[in-house]
Amino acid sequence: MGYKIGIDVGGTFTDTVLIQDNEVLKEGKILTDHKNILDTVLMAIDFLDLPRSMPLEHITVSTTLVTNAILQNELAEVNLVLFPGSGVKLSSFKWPVEYSILSGELDYRGREIKAPDKNEWTKLAQELSSFNGNPRIAIVSKFSHRNSIFETELKSYLEKIIPNAHIELGSEWGKSNFYRRSLTTYLNLACTELFSNFRENLKKAIAARGFNVPIRILKADGGVFPLEKIRPVESIYSGPAASILGALAQSEPEDSYIVVDIGGTTTDIGLVLDGSPLLSSKGAQIGYFLTHIRSLAIRSVSIGGDSSIINSNGEIIISDYRSGPAYCMGGNNPTPTDAMRYLNFTDIGSFQKAEEALASLLPENKRQPKTIKTLAESIIEQMVGKIIQVINQLLSEWKNEPAYKVWEVLQQDPDYKFNVYLSGGPATCIAKVFENKMKTKVITSNWAPVSNAVGAAMAKPTFSWTLNLDTSLAKYRIEETGEQGIWKGAKRPYKEVEKFLVDIARDQSLEMGIDFESYKIEPFEYFPLVENYRTIGQIVRGSVHLPPGVIGRISDG
Amino acid sequence: MVKTGIIFFPAFDWSLGESHPEREERLLYTQEQIFEEGIMDLPQIIQYSPEVADIFDVLRTQAIFPDYRKHDLDAHLIAVGSSLILGRAIAKKELTNGFALIRPPGHHSGATVWDNRGFCTLNNEAILVNALRTEYGLKKVAIVDTDVHHGDGTQDIFYNDPNVLYISIHQDGRTLFPGTGFTEEKGGPNAWGTVVNIPLVPGVGDEGFIYTFENWILPKLEEFQPELIINSAGQDNHYTDPLASMNVSAQGYGKITELLKPDLAVLEGGYSIQGALPYVNMAILLALAGEDYTGVVEPQKPKHKEVSGEAFLSFIHDLKKQHENAKPNWVFRNEKYFPSGEWVYSEKDIFYDTHWFRERRKDYIRKCNHCGGTVLLLTQNLETYEKGAVIRIPFEACEVCEQAGYDLFDTLKEREKNIILQNLSKNKVTWYTGSGEVNFG
Repeated sequence: MGYKIGIDVGGTFTDTVLIQDNEVLKEGKILTDHKNILDTVLMAIDFLDLPRSMPLEHITVSTTLVTNAILQNELAEVNLVLFPGSGVKLSSFKWPVEYSILSGELDYRGREIKAPDKNEWTKLAQELSSFNGNPRIAIVSKFSHRNSIFETELKSYLEKIIPNAHIELGSEWGKSNFYRRSLTTYLNLACTELFSNFRENLKKAIAARGFNVPIRILKADGGVFPLEKIRPVESIYSGPAASILGALAQSEPEDSYIVVDIGGTTTDIGLVLDGSPLLSSKGAQIGYFLTHIRSLAIRSVSIGGDSSIINSNGEIIISDYRSGPAYCMGGNNPTPTDAMRYLNFTDIGSFQKAEEALASLLPENKRQPKTIKTLAESIIEQMVGKIIQVINQLLSEWKNEPAYKVWEVLQQDPDYKFNVYLSGGPATCIAKVFENKMKTKVITSNWAPVSNAVGAAMAKPTFSWTLNLDTSLAKYRIEETGEQGIWKGAKRPYKEVEKFLVDIARDQSLEMGIDFESYKIEPFEYFPLVENYRTIGQIVRGSVHLPPGVIGRISDG
Repeated sequence: MVKTGIIFFPAFDWSLGESHPEREERLLYTQEQIFEEGIMDLPQIIQYSPEVADIFDVLRTQAIFPDYRKHDLDAHLIAVGSSLILGRAIAKKELTNGFALIRPPGHHSGATVWDNRGFCTLNNEAILVNALRTEYGLKKVAIVDTDVHHGDGTQDIFYNDPNVLYISIHQDGRTLFPGTGFTEEKGGPNAWGTVVNIPLVPGVGDEGFIYTFENWILPKLEEFQPELIINSAGQDNHYTDPLASMNVSAQGYGKITELLKPDLAVLEGGYSIQGALPYVNMAILLALAGEDYTGVVEPQKPKHKEVSGEAFLSFIHDLKKQHENAKPNWVFRNEKYFPSGEWVYSEKDIFYDTHWFRERRKDYIRKCNHCGGTVLLLTQNLETYEKGAVIRIPFEACEVCEQAGYDLFDTLKEREKNIILQNLSKNKVTWYTGSGEVNFG
């Protein structure tokens, strides 16, 4: 027992591994077929050549399916219906589609300021039912994370008139920020069919191979979620998250380090503090879409082993695009890989081709071994320099996170000594250059080429439950799930609120089919609510997380 | 494109008492509102993170008695530090403008500090202004105070400084704390006319404020030509404020911000934490960022009668005339131990409302035609009878005034046990503790 499969669908290659307990038994790399992600995933499974009906613990897939659909604008049509109330003009923001505006307004505590106009609802229903097929409708009201009443009432009204409508509500993505909530709801609905096709076909194909196994999808926050329960848009940006998890699965539990995953065209950089990956304080941005998708703090830079090198008016520049494989591997363009090959950092590919590629960047009279070597070295320096620049940006961003309390500002960041953890194809080749430039220890993964797939296979489930309790209004809300209910407890509760939230979270994780054991409680905030110099209640905020992590450490192999 | 910096520091773990107006809850709904509106996602808005200010930046501008280490300054130092971060980014032209949406406030805190007063311990704007003059060589700065209370602390700090124009528009001191800010308070002997007080009758609203800005405050700024304009952006002129009686709306605050175009707005007071702050803060931030703020509508409507139209116009014209006609009435007093020169003397009591005691202040300013003039402040806490002294040598001090400052320091050491010497010209602070000297800078 204890067999796990990890698959990471990347931009160029798809990595696949079979792991037993903490040991990598098989690994492989196949080309990604962007036109057919499902087939790519199945080929990756088949590549492992497992006996039919082999008992498996789980299969974990990190896929670019939704990311690509969003970036390439292959989104299904969605009707966006907004209750924006007063405030900032909607035109101050960029919107993906035309939206309908309905009247009705809530305030920051979810109290109704202005009732909706039901005549508008009748008109809206008429318009929407005139569409052919099943209209997709995203309904989002400002402050719906404090009170979802407008959204739920409109939903049940529309469902009666348009029974085949597919409706999603902003309150199900109930964190503060109306704009992000609107876009997240929109994106999720726009990808739902694409994802459910993928899900159903994947389930069928895996069953057809005789495997009866839970399938897990990797999320941007470095956690996994059951294929059946994941919301499609949560699967974006799982590739970069996989590299961080790959590093976690291959390092000591309390280490702090910078993860640098160098791919063919992109390098992803993340941070691990005392064994915990750093989460971004804001939701992920995909294209121009700002979302509420929780993600790891990862910076991506368009540079990798296959980046094209160009001569721009005598200046040798590593471009931010790829035009096929490296010259020494049979491609048409000089790349950093050619420089690595020429310097004998690797013995893969043709040395002679690498030399040709580099020489082509030099004027004819300068194509001597010495100048070619200098050129090769300067290319590697340039590449590493660009990556280090982004590392420093990430570090300064982390140190400059906003703080809202005195103790948070006073608290000194522990003085971390960061090692660099390198993964990806070219990792081992340039580790030395990194070490010299950053003056820090550089560790390369033993499974560098398939580190992402290892990360996916070893990832734990994640989820968060954020409570907002207003005892004066006797209402509570769980932001991530949209659950809203009546508070029957004390006006000024204390520790019992933590238990209240943990109980909800435990029940819901059971329902979602995820393990709740490793939950963490964030410190709760208690705000006395005062009116006319009298304390009339409390606003309590707090959260329970299942943080990203790995189920075990891979042995060195 | 405009680039607007914001530091949002609500100090969610700091209060002056559980049901005190200056409590944890104060910016809670403002946070809910601005986060929900997604304002931080506007491309021209850049969020900065708060930092703790260095005590030297404080002591350069404010003398803390009896010993700064005996006060709990943590929250206040973060409010100052946050103002400094935005101020420096603006001075470096990284930003077009900024909004320090911070607690605790500062404009009632003056040149000598014994305790918290009017909810303030450290003067965020004043400390910032002197830091920027020191670090970036700014010559002329204007502070426009739109809090409903007179910013007596800021006025106190810059009263003798010819290069800082302080304009305060507020509810008349006869009807509201701190009871100062009348038209005849126009600045000390070397800085006459660089303080402008506009005490309004209760009930003035958007119309009156906009008129006063267009016809008094903006022309005054135009005449002074400051390199930097700071707005002490109190929000208690809002018609729902529980402590004051004015009639300004959230959009009115937006319009004022649009007219004033401050380089930096710093939150001061404003205690209608549900009815006003979420909306006023938004309107100010949107106006700074060049966004349309006319969609910001607070749910409550004004309750008191607005003073407007002819009644307001005749009131404001009289007030302006009073200000223009006010003449100085200096008293000269040279103590025996004073260095040469003519020293203008004044005396006042300062009330510390937080813990209910008074400070006695005796101010001496060396009249000078070449620089701002050296200042001596003798202070006494009338509850504990502890004493202290401040000698301030101004920015770009003339040699005579600088020497006078040091001579005074030497002779004063024989009479006083707690003296702070602020040499703004040389960016040095020396604290004489009775037994020795501590140097800052």
